[in-house]
Amino acid sequence: MRFRFCGDLDCPDWVLAEISTLAKISSVKMKLLCAQVLKDLLGEGLDYEKVAKLTADAKFESGDIKASLAVLSFILSSAAKHDVDSESLSSELQQLGLPKEHATGLCKSYEDKHSALQDRLRETSLRLRRLDSVSWRVDYTLSSSEIREVNEPLIHLKLQTHRADPGSSDTTMVSISPDKFRVLLTELKQAQTMMNALQ
Amino acid sequence: MEALGRISPADCVKLCHRVVDGLCGREPPCRSDYSATWSLEEWLQLLDLLTGLFRLAVGSDIPEEQVLAKLSDVDHSHAEAVLTVLKARHEEIRRALLDRTNGISSATLQDFDWQLKLALSSDKISSLNTPLLSLGLDVRENGALRPITMELSREELSTLISSLEAANKVVQQLK
Repeated sequence: MRFRFCGDLDCPDWVLAEISTLAKISSVKMKLLCAQVLKDLLGEGLDYEKVAKLTADAKFESGDIKASLAVLSFILSSAAKHDVDSESLSSELQQLGLPKEHATGLCKSYEDKHSALQDRLRETSLRLRRLDSVSWRVDYTLSSSEIREVNEPLIHLKLQTHRADPGSSDTTMVSISPDKFRVLLTELKQAQTMMNALQ
Repeated sequence: MEALGRISPADCVKLCHRVVDGLCGREPPCRSDYSATWSLEEWLQLLDLLTGLFRLAVGSDIPEEQVLAKLSDVDHSHAEAVLTVLKARHEEIRRALLDRTNGISSATLQDFDWQLKLALSSDKISSLNTPLLSLGLDVRENGALRPITMELSREELSTLISSLEAANKVVQQLK
């Protein structure tokens, strides 16, 4: 059987297996667990103590805790990835054996964070160097060993970029002659116009 | 400089143009074209003298009479030939010297290219639909070219443009 929240593919076996683990805790507790997982997916981090407390009365072992976090994380991120609406998600989860109350609770949390989750996924998608900040300085060159009277401006740019992994920032210093600078600016503006026309 | 007298004034104009080409970063004159006229030592010395003269004449903006005075050891028609080339290529030489000035003790932007693309999908999200601008800068640093590439989102591009515009405003005021 194919599921929309799995990208129109079969549901992975491990997910199927762990959905029954989720059914062991109360629907209220599961909803709170969902909130924790969503926080993690949105980059705010997991509160492990809270998670331990929430799963304490279901007598979860650490393996079960990890499994339930993993399965919730899979369901929520995969549904957001494939842009599944909460009603479809709820019915698909029920088909996979998640009790109705659990499914409703999970989907309510999902619906609330749906767009935030998608923004986050879009943001964390693969990208080469990103631009962090730009600093500039304009100099006016008066004279040099090459020419006695220069009287030309010179633009210095400092571009700070970073890769996806943290701590990989890179600084580029470059000076640009006024002519080239004007061309650069004009072309970037052209590109911006085209970019804005895309939406 | 006397050695210049061994070629005709017309050939002298040609040679001077090639010397200026070399000064401006294009192909310099070819030794083999003149190997019958000058020895290697004379050739190198002549090139040095001519290049130095052009740089000095434009860099220090010295008047014609002084340039002619420096050419006193060649006959008049050859001196005139050098002077014609100097006058014709004055602005070009100035540009080249400005470029050298801008390159003093800093990395300079040699060239740039960009590419606008629409990212459709990724492993994180199936419909990404985000426009991205790839910007490649060729930075010349200590003689070597260093390529720098980055991918800018709409927001990053507008940050970059507003910074550049602020700088551009200052540059415009200077003119």
